[in-house]
Amino acid sequence: MRFGRWRFSLLALSVILALRARDLPAQVRIISLAATAPGALSVTVTSGAVQTIAVVADNAVNNFPAPVVIQTTWNVQPGQTNTVNLMAYFSVPAQALLGGSIQIPSSRVLGRMATGVPVTFTALTQNAVGGVGSAGGSLRLFSVNIGGANKNASRTDNLDLQLNLVGFPALPAGAYTGVLNLRAVTQ
Amino acid sequence: MHAWFKKVLTGTTALLLVGSSSAVAQVGLTSNVATVALTATKNATLTVSPNASTATLASITDNSNANNFTPVSLTTAWNLTAGSSVRLVGWFATPAQALANGTNLIPSSRVEGRVNATAYSPFTAGPVGGLGVAGGSLQLFSQAVGSGSYLGTRTDQLDLRLDLTGTTTVAGDYTGTLNLQAVVQ
Repeated sequence: MRFGRWRFSLLALSVILALRARDLPAQVRIISLAATAPGALSVTVTSGAVQTIAVVADNAVNNFPAPVVIQTTWNVQPGQTNTVNLMAYFSVPAQALLGGSIQIPSSRVLGRMATGVPVTFTALTQNAVGGVGSAGGSLRLFSVNIGGANKNASRTDNLDLQLNLVGFPALPAGAYTGVLNLRAVTQ
Repeated sequence: MHAWFKKVLTGTTALLLVGSSSAVAQVGLTSNVATVALTATKNATLTVSPNASTATLASITDNSNANNFTPVSLTTAWNLTAGSSVRLVGWFATPAQALANGTNLIPSSRVEGRVNATAYSPFTAGPVGGLGVAGGSLQLFSQAVGSGSYLGTRTDQLDLRLDLTGTTTVAGDYTGTLNLQAVVQ
């Protein structure tokens, strides 16, 4: 009988505890969800990726024959990106073009982008922007402000190039070659 | 309620941190590197430039070699990628009539040349490097060139004379054309 009374008491306590448990606030677990679409930025040379001056003239300004047509495409967040910039640069400014032991520096290579920043021919002697480019061997071709209307956009520009040999020592006969890099960066 | 507040605060902070890390990621976003290959070619050149197009001899003296034309200065310039010598050649197109006065002819063997006061030689040699004509040519100089001298220039004084020793000429004006051309060998 005594055991029966205890059993009843335990049962009653369980009910009370169970009822009490319902009154306790559930433990809240917060799971933060974050899905970030990565920004996209690309540069494509649609034509003019190979530029050749067939006959270089000493002590003269030599035009590269055709414009370099550059398509820049981006998909960025306006609140996190102020500008998209296109840079042109030579990795080693002292030897933009090289022919044997003869070096033509980047200061002798001029660029012009009528739809960009250097609307007149300007030497590639600027510094890097946003870590893109080389010190003294770069040229910012354009800088476009980003807003809601153009956060996902594309533009095409023509880059004209010149080789300015005015006052430069006469070049020995031969071929002078170099690589101009084009890269975009957000700021 | 205090636990609730802590958890909400923790979650909010986490969201803010996620948001701020995304903002940092988009500043300094870089594209691929596109390239433009540049080539500028300086062609090999070889030029001869006389300072005058006419050399004159005012009065011919027969039976003598004292018939000197006015000297001509020649500038030869070269910019090469290969070769071992630059040679300057002078020649008459028709050796039998280097100079002519109607039907009166002076052959190239009677015309002599030299550069820089060396000994006179007649224009009676054969072509050099394909330049000139048989029996009517004269190599005026041969300049050695190499990798250190592929870009160069030199100026020479060309003296010309008629050697009329043993002959006489009919009075009149004798005219002719001396061709000058350089070649790399």
